[in-house]
Amino acid sequence: MKRYWKFLVPATVALGLLIVLLVNLSSNLVYFRTPTELQTEVAPSEERLRLGGQVVAGTVVENGETLVLTVTDGRESLQVEHAGAIPQLFAEGQGVIVEGTWDGAMFHSDTMLIRHDEQYRTEDNVIYDTIDHELDEL
Amino acid sequence: MTDATRRSRSWLDIVAVAAVVGALVFAMTSPRVESQGDSARMLFIHVPTIWLAYLAFAVTFVASITYLVTKKLKWDLIAGSSAEIGVVFTTVAIIGGAIWGKATWNVYWTWDARLTLTAIMLFVYIGYLALRRSIPDPEARARRSSVLGILGLVQLIPVHFSVTWWRTLHQSNTFRPRDIQMDGPILAALLMSVGAFTLVYASLLRHRVHLAELELVALEAAAATEGPVAGDAVTAPTIDSAGAGE
Repeated sequence: MKRYWKFLVPATVALGLLIVLLVNLSSNLVYFRTPTELQTEVAPSEERLRLGGQVVAGTVVENGETLVLTVTDGRESLQVEHAGAIPQLFAEGQGVIVEGTWDGAMFHSDTMLIRHDEQYRTEDNVIYDTIDHELDEL
Repeated sequence: MTDATRRSRSWLDIVAVAAVVGALVFAMTSPRVESQGDSARMLFIHVPTIWLAYLAFAVTFVASITYLVTKKLKWDLIAGSSAEIGVVFTTVAIIGGAIWGKATWNVYWTWDARLTLTAIMLFVYIGYLALRRSIPDPEARARRSSVLGILGLVQLIPVHFSVTWWRTLHQSNTFRPRDIQMDGPILAALLMSVGAFTLVYASLLRHRVHLAELELVALEAAAATEGPVAGDAVTAPTIDSAGAGE
């Protein structure tokens, strides 16, 4: 009997952790909503949510303690009033995810994350595209 | 063990260490990544470590199937050893990713699909190792753990494609078929470090399997010597019926 206990205890702990993780995951498969979704599907409320999009160039205005900016998903844009720390990689055209509430006209955020793209390009702007071409020929 | 296998094992160690040193030079001198700067050098640790985790768990999968087909214990030792290395490198990938995440995303950890599924993968394989430890008999251990070793690999598919299937904080896959989103010099340095880490894996696996074989031999030797065990001299106390009522 004893050795079954030795198996059961870690198995139960592992299963418990798995359930906790899955419960967490189910509400987070969609990590952020887009400006289009907020304007068409999501009703304004006090509930906290995440909004993701690209910072529109020329819209970033410092307004005392807050930062006002516009994010876009390419179709719709949304104004964000951000009161909180600004990540190092924040820039115009950068992908950002802000956390806060949506009141129907403005998104009020206190946390900002950077969502960078999957491209790894060198700073010297030389176009290294030989590999892509070679692969295309395959 | 023959001298030849011992020699070849130490040669592999030397080659692996040399490759790591070479890869490190490439990683430190590769051009800076546009928009991310030097923090993107975490790439040269993060990608190879998760690659090793995938590779290690794939080896566990193949070795588990091979054990069930051949019933040779050596394959089970390979499966267990590889999973151990995979758990270590998954942990390193998560810790390295957290450091990188703080530098770029501005957060160490968040429950997005990629991060969460990677954590689940880690816990499943820790469970696999716990299962192995819970079964003392080598044959029974091999038979039962091989089932988990085979089933465990299924998770790698959602882990890898989570960034394309769902909306995540983690960026999408850089390596897409026929379309690599990475410039040549960075890619060259990355391939160097993936190669170096793979050699490290091969070296670690050989040492770990060798150790597992020695453990098995020691276990069999211990089982063969049927001697007295500690506590043999002690007899269990019996209840005296006359004094039981007091």
